[in-house]
Amino acid sequence: MNSIPSASEIDEEAADWAARVDARGLDVDHDPELRAWLKGDARRAGALLRAQAAISFLDRGRALAGAAPPVEAVPAERPSRRALIAGAGGMAAALVGGVGLWRARPQRLETRLGEIRRVPLADGSLVAINTKTALDVAMKPRSRRIVLKEGEAWFQVAKDPERPFVVAAGPVRVRAVGTAFSVRRGDEAGAGVDVMVTEGVVETWVEGDPSPRRRVAAGGRIVLASAVSPTVAQSPSEIERSLAWRNGEIALDGESLEQAARLFNRYNSRQIVIEDPELARERFVGLFQTNEPESFAAAVAATLGAVVADDAGSIRISRAHIS
Amino acid sequence: MPGDLLPVLSGDRNLDPAWIVIVEGPLKQSRAEIVAFVGGQILPHEADVRAWLRRSGSSAADIDDVVQETYCRLAGLDSVAHITSGRAYFFRTARNIAIEKIRRARIVRIDCVTEIDALNVVDDEPSPERVVAGRRELGRVQQLIEGLPERCRQIFTLRRIHGLSQKETALRLGVTENVVEMQSARGLRLILRALSEATAQDRPVVGKAHELHSVRKRD
Repeated sequence: MNSIPSASEIDEEAADWAARVDARGLDVDHDPELRAWLKGDARRAGALLRAQAAISFLDRGRALAGAAPPVEAVPAERPSRRALIAGAGGMAAALVGGVGLWRARPQRLETRLGEIRRVPLADGSLVAINTKTALDVAMKPRSRRIVLKEGEAWFQVAKDPERPFVVAAGPVRVRAVGTAFSVRRGDEAGAGVDVMVTEGVVETWVEGDPSPRRRVAAGGRIVLASAVSPTVAQSPSEIERSLAWRNGEIALDGESLEQAARLFNRYNSRQIVIEDPELARERFVGLFQTNEPESFAAAVAATLGAVVADDAGSIRISRAHIS
Repeated sequence: MPGDLLPVLSGDRNLDPAWIVIVEGPLKQSRAEIVAFVGGQILPHEADVRAWLRRSGSSAADIDDVVQETYCRLAGLDSVAHITSGRAYFFRTARNIAIEKIRRARIVRIDCVTEIDALNVVDDEPSPERVVAGRRELGRVQQLIEGLPERCRQIFTLRRIHGLSQKETALRLGVTENVVEMQSARGLRLILRALSEATAQDRPVVGKAHELHSVRKRD
């Protein structure tokens, strides 16, 4: 009985090896001692993979901490979460050792209406994908390429000077190294591509456009390839609010009801309709879940004295008529 | 910060001549890429897979073996690019291995048929709110690190959360690199154990027994 080690005994040995590989940068495929250990029992390869995966899982904490924006309106459920964010904040995104991580085929990532996903990429970067979005990820030895086909995504880019990280949205290009930013393609033609930077600096340009490339730093926002000429606007708090979707939230701060309805309608098949044009211009403040247009309608009804009529397909908000 | 971005941004801005070309070719992925995939897409579901095996009537030793064998099969892959859902893959592979085990033991066990039936109810659906799952994962990483003894915890925080190298960590704490490495191994052992001992209660949304059936109906 004693001659066959249990799964957990193998796990312990594997933890030692994984720590050694991590600390000394050993090459798993070529280190003779490690190879000898792996050969000794077929189960060891699985245990080593699991132990190394656990290290990689812990490293994701850094990417996720950076990704979770400190939205002031939301009470932090875990008090120490803030401390973790503070700790990670000073650091740029996860460092990936000079290993050539790359995927030969572009990977397609998609979200359906109302769906929001966070996906770690093979290079250590993290992408948060908003509702109804499609993008292709191509990791190559010398470059990291994202093609935003439609919708909106926020990227936290792992630093790797050898491999520029470029997002393409139509003719627009956004290039970054060790930074975080979002790119949104407008729904209508001519609406342009909206770029918001939350960390570091990005460089933007439009393919075929001879004008010089523009740099946008943290807190900056630029709309490219639209009808109006692009200008960089500085509005860090505005940007954080616009990116509340990463937490599945819509943060309203004085938007008109019409604008708010449009925001909710991006996420839900049940569309909000503001029936009265005057009511549509009313301004509103509040924090809501993207998938709860009903609670938004109820809040509007309660504060602005409106009435809500809803059926399966829509939520209609109108002025209460005093008769 | 922008300082260390400058040389990179100003250099080789036109090195991307034909980047839309899709490279078709041998699909072998690097080990680092597979490790990153397993860390991000497989390991976070281990507690759920274990909880499900437990509900299906597997013994603790069997669960350890099934989980280890699943990682072994992953370690044998040249590429994980074909796996669209790590969670579904984990459940499916664990189920197949568990059933193989039962079949091999068939001669001595009579109640195995019900066990196979139990294993056929796979609750591998992901939680409805992936965003919430992401936040929970962050909490989980934090919880794992906070559960470590003091010295281990300091080292893990510096190495994993702040991204310091082993050398920098040793300097910061005034210990030798050897101590950092030993403590890292010790901490990793504890974390691996915690990951396998995690019970369904740790994962409020996904792991509840009554969701076993209701979850299937979603979509």
